[in-house]
Amino acid sequence: MSKPVAESATNLRYQALQLMLQLQKHSGSLTRLLPEAQERVAASEQAQLQAWIFGWCRWSHELEGLVGQLLQKPLKQKDQDVYLLMQLGVFQLKHTPTADHAAVDETVKVIKRLKKPWARGVVNAVLRNYQRQSQQLHESLSETQQYSHPTWLLEIIKTDWPEQWQAVCLANNEQGPMWLRVNCLHGSLDSYQDRLREQSMESSVLSEIPDALLLEKPVPVTALPGFEQGDISIQDGAAQMASQLLAKYQPEGGRLLDACAAPGGKTAHAAESGRYTQIVAIDRDEFRLNSVHSTLQRLNLEANVNVVLGDAATPTSWWDGQPFNAILLDAPCSGTGVIRRHPDIKLLRRASDIENLVALQAQLLDALWPTLAPGGVLLYATCSIFKDENERQIGHFLQRNPQASLLDQVLQILPGDRGMDGFFYAAMAKPHV
Amino acid sequence: MSLLDILYYPDPQLRTSASEVRDVDGNVAKLVDDMFATMYEAPGIGLAATQVNVHQQVVVIDVSEENDTPLTFINPKIIVAEGMAEMQEGCLSIPGVYETIKRPSEVRIAALDREGNPFEMDADGLLAVCIQHEIDHLQGKLFVDYLSTLKRNRIRKKLEKWVRDGADLDDIPEPVSRSR
Repeated sequence: MSKPVAESATNLRYQALQLMLQLQKHSGSLTRLLPEAQERVAASEQAQLQAWIFGWCRWSHELEGLVGQLLQKPLKQKDQDVYLLMQLGVFQLKHTPTADHAAVDETVKVIKRLKKPWARGVVNAVLRNYQRQSQQLHESLSETQQYSHPTWLLEIIKTDWPEQWQAVCLANNEQGPMWLRVNCLHGSLDSYQDRLREQSMESSVLSEIPDALLLEKPVPVTALPGFEQGDISIQDGAAQMASQLLAKYQPEGGRLLDACAAPGGKTAHAAESGRYTQIVAIDRDEFRLNSVHSTLQRLNLEANVNVVLGDAATPTSWWDGQPFNAILLDAPCSGTGVIRRHPDIKLLRRASDIENLVALQAQLLDALWPTLAPGGVLLYATCSIFKDENERQIGHFLQRNPQASLLDQVLQILPGDRGMDGFFYAAMAKPHV
Repeated sequence: MSLLDILYYPDPQLRTSASEVRDVDGNVAKLVDDMFATMYEAPGIGLAATQVNVHQQVVVIDVSEENDTPLTFINPKIIVAEGMAEMQEGCLSIPGVYETIKRPSEVRIAALDREGNPFEMDADGLLAVCIQHEIDHLQGKLFVDYLSTLKRNRIRKKLEKWVRDGADLDDIPEPVSRSR
């Protein structure tokens, strides 16, 4: 028999710490690393591990500021694990309902597993001193620590949103609520809301997004009636607007291209609407394309969509030459509108990424525009709140393509706005010949 | 003393029933020593001879923190079992997998020691779980057999995939902490 992970509380913290180290080394995103780490803890603790690691990502800049003040001198690079363990301890004291004594004792126990017995005293001292001095420590935090955003990110948010930046930062540190998209092919929104009510799940509606329900409290997906049968999907309200806006600006339907389709939520929504004679969904990532297949499979929409492996930047490699009446370009972006759902963005994204993303978005717009039929509409979308990726990107595109016309104003949703993720939409029409 | 190779699930040899040791001789003593070395090296807290592909009823255990309480059980039998308790179990033959298993919480064991002298011992807590886990091995039984078929198949597939991916199961620390 192998040594039991009997002190599972210690194991949970140890695994959280390993995940923190991986994130700090930029070994991958949480989406990839978390499921692997969850296999190493007891089934009953998987949700806890997720909550902690999300929380640590949210607050890591604040925690750095707090622990930094408590250390007389910084720890050596090779003792990053000890430094992060202190952060994990302070995180539990500040942001979780874990009893203080357990937060301290259980965190100190992890030292044994790290085989760094010298660190026992200093970890213990840092956590106890935090308990005694938390108020002063918080008062001495810098702005980037207080809002827990990296400096470069905070600067752009402040520049782009001088009035709203504080609200944006606070919303980024919240947990996103759970939104459902009711599959109108299976039943009406009202009847599904009734089914939820039977299970004592309360939800609200938003008039602008007719298929959306905002759950009062998040629940495990498996607890939702009819999920496996495809009666509903999980999708933020802001993302649901894509299908909505396409319908508004291209009421005739016709042939739709979803140019960066994975994981397929917006593709499926368009297919559920039944407006299009044909839907082509492409993505350049074969692995991510699988997620489109499984999304469509669950909703029984596979026959309605032509899923193709292809890079939107090079239509010659996948386009049959038949123009599209509508194109959805949900472009790769900084993800700065969905930080509340992907808090690792704050750790993994670098300032230098933005320039590359902006260039890629411009390239995609230019490559796809010729595939749009005269009279067709291209809906550009990002889950970013950066003007360079959004309104300035579209401004530049319109300058390069004077025949393209912007329909309505661009739409920028900021994170937390009516419970939604941060999102950007701009619809552009090609003139009839 | 030498280190022995541990068999990994789903190796069919793990399903072999071990035969009783007739003579506790020098060969058995050597086996016991090698098994202790292998177990400490793994690191583990218990090892049955079945796991090193020797199909005799020999078990070694050390549940102490300091690895200073080696226990040898030859031809062990559970003569009394009481209570029920759940504990997380892992197995050196199924690296990286930990599942909660329900077993009797207190047991009385009759066995022979390293010199061949009979003894009885009462055990509870981790020791009781470990003894039962190892005696199961001698009967070709694994802790995953207490799980649902679905869960067991998932574990089997995971291990087979690791092997396919070229992972050296000897190197999978406990619990699996490498990034893959």
